[in-house]
Amino acid sequence: MTTVAVRPADREPEPQAQSRDKLVVRDLSFFYGDNRALKDISVSLPERSVTAFIGPSGCGKSTLLRVFNRIYSLYPGQRAEGEVLLDGRNILDRSQDLNLLRARVGMVFQKPTPYPMSIFDNIAFGVRLYEKLGRADMADRVEGALRRAALWDEVKDKLQASGLSLSGGQQQRLCIARTVAVRPEIILLDEPASALDPISTAKIEELIDELQQDYTIAIVTHNMQQAARVSSRTAFMYLGELVECGDTQTIFTAPRERRTQDYITGRFG
Amino acid sequence: MTIAATDPTADARSAAMQRLALADRMFHRTTKAAAILVLVLLGGLLLSLVAGSWAALSTFGVSFLTTASWNPVTEKFGAVAPLYGTVITSAVALLLAVPVGIGIAVFLTEICPLRLRRPLGIAIELLAGIPSIIYGIWGLFVLAPFLQQDVQPRVIAAFKGVPVLERLFAGPPYGIGILTAALILAVMVLPFVASVTRDVFETVPPMLKESAYGIGCTTWEVVSRIVLPYTRVGVVGGVMLGLGRALGETMAVTFVIGNAHRISPSLFAPGTTISATIANEFTEAVGDLYTASLVALGLILFVLTFIVLAAARFMLMRLARRRGG
Amino acid sequence: MTGATARRARNTLMMTLCVGAAALGLGALALILGALLYEGLSGLTLAVFTEMTPPPGEDGGLLNAIAGSVAMTVIAMAIGTPVGILAGTYMAEYGRHARLTAVVRFINDILLSAPSIIVGLFVYEILVRRMGHFSGIAGAVALAMIVVPVVVRTTEDMLLLVPDVLREAGTAVGAPRWIVIRSVSYRAARAGIVTGVLLAVARISGETAPLLFTALNNQFWSTDLNAPLASLPVTIFQFALSPYEDWQRLAWTGALIITAAVLVLSIAARALTARRDDR
Repeated sequence: MTTVAVRPADREPEPQAQSRDKLVVRDLSFFYGDNRALKDISVSLPERSVTAFIGPSGCGKSTLLRVFNRIYSLYPGQRAEGEVLLDGRNILDRSQDLNLLRARVGMVFQKPTPYPMSIFDNIAFGVRLYEKLGRADMADRVEGALRRAALWDEVKDKLQASGLSLSGGQQQRLCIARTVAVRPEIILLDEPASALDPISTAKIEELIDELQQDYTIAIVTHNMQQAARVSSRTAFMYLGELVECGDTQTIFTAPRERRTQDYITGRFG
Repeated sequence: MTIAATDPTADARSAAMQRLALADRMFHRTTKAAAILVLVLLGGLLLSLVAGSWAALSTFGVSFLTTASWNPVTEKFGAVAPLYGTVITSAVALLLAVPVGIGIAVFLTEICPLRLRRPLGIAIELLAGIPSIIYGIWGLFVLAPFLQQDVQPRVIAAFKGVPVLERLFAGPPYGIGILTAALILAVMVLPFVASVTRDVFETVPPMLKESAYGIGCTTWEVVSRIVLPYTRVGVVGGVMLGLGRALGETMAVTFVIGNAHRISPSLFAPGTTISATIANEFTEAVGDLYTASLVALGLILFVLTFIVLAAARFMLMRLARRRGG
Repeated sequence: MTGATARRARNTLMMTLCVGAAALGLGALALILGALLYEGLSGLTLAVFTEMTPPPGEDGGLLNAIAGSVAMTVIAMAIGTPVGILAGTYMAEYGRHARLTAVVRFINDILLSAPSIIVGLFVYEILVRRMGHFSGIAGAVALAMIVVPVVVRTTEDMLLLVPDVLREAGTAVGAPRWIVIRSVSYRAARAGIVTGVLLAVARISGETAPLLFTALNNQFWSTDLNAPLASLPVTIFQFALSPYEDWQRLAWTGALIITAAVLVLSIAARALTARRDDR
């Protein structure tokens, strides 16, 4: 089976000004023990845009996302080979400070995971790690993050309430707020709305649309319509390989690969 | 908003990260040290027991395990009487506690009305929390007199002339003795067996039981033919945990065993156990050999309970692995 | 059909026996608590808490014994709880898949159920022998050795219940491991860990055997931890086995006090975890 990597020459010319790639993946392979879950992936995330990763269950899209912030390093027996360049520097390198990396590459998980703390502390937690802000500055930062996550109006009167007292949709927006508070450069979203109701999902998608003006976003989703709605670029993955990557419009209307076509039209997955 | 490499925020972050990383390494080492300390404690325990008993072990050798005499005057010590007492009281205790404990577990899981299950389960567990010295004085002041006055004379009279039972229940009705100690131990071990068995019973998939009920099995048939075989390993593990507890129990037994260094065929006779011997005689032991013999008894007890507990753990681990958890 | 009747009869018999078993167990509990209340309450006067242990034939109380027990319990918890929590943290967090953890877990469970008199012998050998005399400190150390396995077990179990996603969420924001443990894992498992601590206190409140040859006993009021120290369990042991009636009465009262303390702690511990489950 041949893998299809997207070469710069094959890409459609961008209509707007040439934006550079924030994250470049080259020949990435990932292993759970001896099991090879990702095979020679090469893809790029252009800055200040949304790139969606779609594919059937088990294709490796979440695994790929988890390489971008090296969260897999928490678990022995999981390893990555190849190159992942953030602003030109390989984050897979041994010398990479993981905590620093994760401050630059934020992640929102599938299940809303508020910390067992107040709403205020949830947001302040990450900021407090490496910034010494006064009371007023911290309050501003928290408010700013909550506003960006479109949650401020709903929680401004109960900042001391437990994060767990919010609804599912609100909890997820809280998680987005706390990721944004830390001022990352890239935000990774791992099926952020799959556990939420349709109204919350719509709110999250609106958020993504606004956030992409300032952040580079990568989103994994099993919902193709969602990918079509929020992203400007889409990558289709299958069985650990990157089958095709390109402009979202093109992928969904005129994909080059047969497998992409089959997935889009629902022949499998 | 992108952060360029020369941005001061990035440098400040980097410095903070360094400090945090150092703290992380230190915390990691501290927790690891604490975990190793647990190992050291057990190792130290074993070592000190061996060291403390060396005088006795080197003097008596293996005969320590076969001699029945216990004479501080002539300095001849042997572990047979305490060992016998330990094993007999624990064995009888389990003989009584296991059926009752399983019965309680069956009651709690199958018969008891739903609303009462939690409070009654908690009540049974409270039995486990009562300190052993309480059992001891209860045994001494309540159970022993009761046995002495009301039970033992009747049993002795009843079994007079019956071949084996006459010897088993012979002798003056002291009230205290092997059987009394075994009874107290049984009550102490009961909540353990009941709790573990109940927990293990609750892991039986409801569908398994329903399929049996569905073909018309009675409750007892479901329990004896489905539940018990399914949970066999867990129940045995729980029983062995109870055994481990019974073997090492000190205070409750010391009060009611009678503290006599001898072996007697009658269950009504006084005797002694390893832990009761140590508890009673350690502070008054004069001479290195006497003390070392007592420590040697402790070593034997430790080895005994270690084997039983290790076997219990092993069985419960196998159960967990079979379940996939 | 005789077959069905026989089966039904057998079932009724066995079920009756099971109910009987439960009655037996509950009956034993009732008898013990009943005797405690009956014998112990009559001697429960204010004097018990204000006077020292008396020589036989005189009036007195249990103040020095209670004080000694409290002191040794506090010290034992101060020593044993940090060690237990730290070890449990290693096993559930840093060293979750390490071989060391599996070994420690096994050893810990052995220590958990080991006869407490053996612990007394151990501390005698390493402390009392070395120091040349019995002491309250030795008693506290012996009790600490009983605390550690209890706290290790509950800490590890409670920390393992915290979902990994929560840890990942903490790590994803750039927090180093120890901060994730402190601010996320500990906080999430807080109720359970406190429960473990309470259970440990309940456990050592009634322990007698480890004190028999470490702290020994002391008739008088003493604040010297470097000398034999009175404790409630050992006092009860001495008084109950004596032939003196007033000593025996004090023994019952002391037993009531200990049981009350243990039950209150157990119920408090249970209430803590129950509240968490409801949330």
